Amino acid sequence: MDKIIVTINGTKVSGSEGMTILDAARENGIDIPTLCYRLELSPIGACRICVVEVESSRTLVGSCHTPITQGMVIHTHSPKVIETRKAIVELLLASHPDSCLVCDKANLCELRMIAADLEVGLPRFRLQKNYYPIEDVSPYIVRDLSKCVLCRRCVRACSEIAEQNVFGIAYRGFDSKVVVDFDQPIDQNVCQDCNVCIPFCPTGALSKPGRIGKEKEGKPLIITG
Amino acid sequence: MGKSKENLLILLQEAQNKSGYLSQELMVELAKSLNVSLSDVYGVATFYSFLSAKPQARNVIRICKSVPCYLKNSQMIIETVGNKIGIKPGETTPDDKFSFQLTNCIGACDKAPAMMINHEVYGDLNPNKIAKILKSYL
Repeated sequence: MDKIIVTINGTKVSGSEGMTILDAARENGIDIPTLCYRLELSPIGACRICVVEVESSRTLVGSCHTPITQGMVIHTHSPKVIETRKAIVELLLASHPDSCLVCDKANLCELRMIAADLEVGLPRFRLQKNYYPIEDVSPYIVRDLSKCVLCRRCVRACSEIAEQNVFGIAYRGFDSKVVVDFDQPIDQNVCQDCNVCIPFCPTGALSKPGRIGKEKEGKPLIITG
Repeated sequence: MGKSKENLLILLQEAQNKSGYLSQELMVELAKSLNVSLSDVYGVATFYSFLSAKPQARNVIRICKSVPCYLKNSQMIIETVGNKIGIKPGETTPDDKFSFQLTNCIGACDKAPAMMINHEVYGDLNPNKIAKILKSYL
């Protein structure tokens, strides 16, 4: 099979057919941040954090789902890319509750990690946040959808790994939400103790019940910038 | 109609046209027969503003909430209609005459601000015009 030669940040690298820009970059030690992407799951390009600049492309492209093509010229950390990535993270944070201080996941939160890495600084956007009641009727899983960033990792983990299809996305725009059946709180009738989706959640939206009083895991993540 | 899941949207649309809304029983049956999850059926049903998971009144008023109508003061239209029939968007009048919804673009940007009542499009709206139009549905 023919090698595909692409240029990443000025260096020519070779890849094979079917590789994405992200695959090629990671193989060559270039770190592109990702949020909705996970190796075990199909790439869907939902969060846009992995965007890169491709010369002759009108828009930035999601690197996790865009295949490399012969002669592609890619910039993974150009000023335009960094600025866009920061803005995307800021927008994700804008509709995320400011409850990191009391969130068990705060020090392990991937959204917070990316925000700290990109040094997005203090909030610029003030949005009406969507607050949902915490769903804690199931003995196996607690859902706090106010913290959900709609990365769809739980949706894909449930359907692709657990092969259960418990979750779906309902409503539209700002009202979009990961739902169970007819938007019912998740209970033990629809979801058994498989524990596949919980580790996939990048934020504190999904957790195991009964952590009250335990010490927070991980080291504090400080967002500077 | 085939039983493959690509037909989900068409089947939902047919059911919507036939009974005016999508009942939970219908969605359960559809999910079973197409072998898709209930949450996926509900997801599609709630994504489109012309599909409804709640029973609708005899007349459904839909006001466009997209940008061109917004720039032509659709807010005023929304308020006028709301005041005239006494309900807010998303609600139905107690006498079951009107359901009131905000919808995405209805393709009448050239006549913005625009609304639809059932299958009829009304454009270039102002409070006087709205009063006349609503009267014809009473």
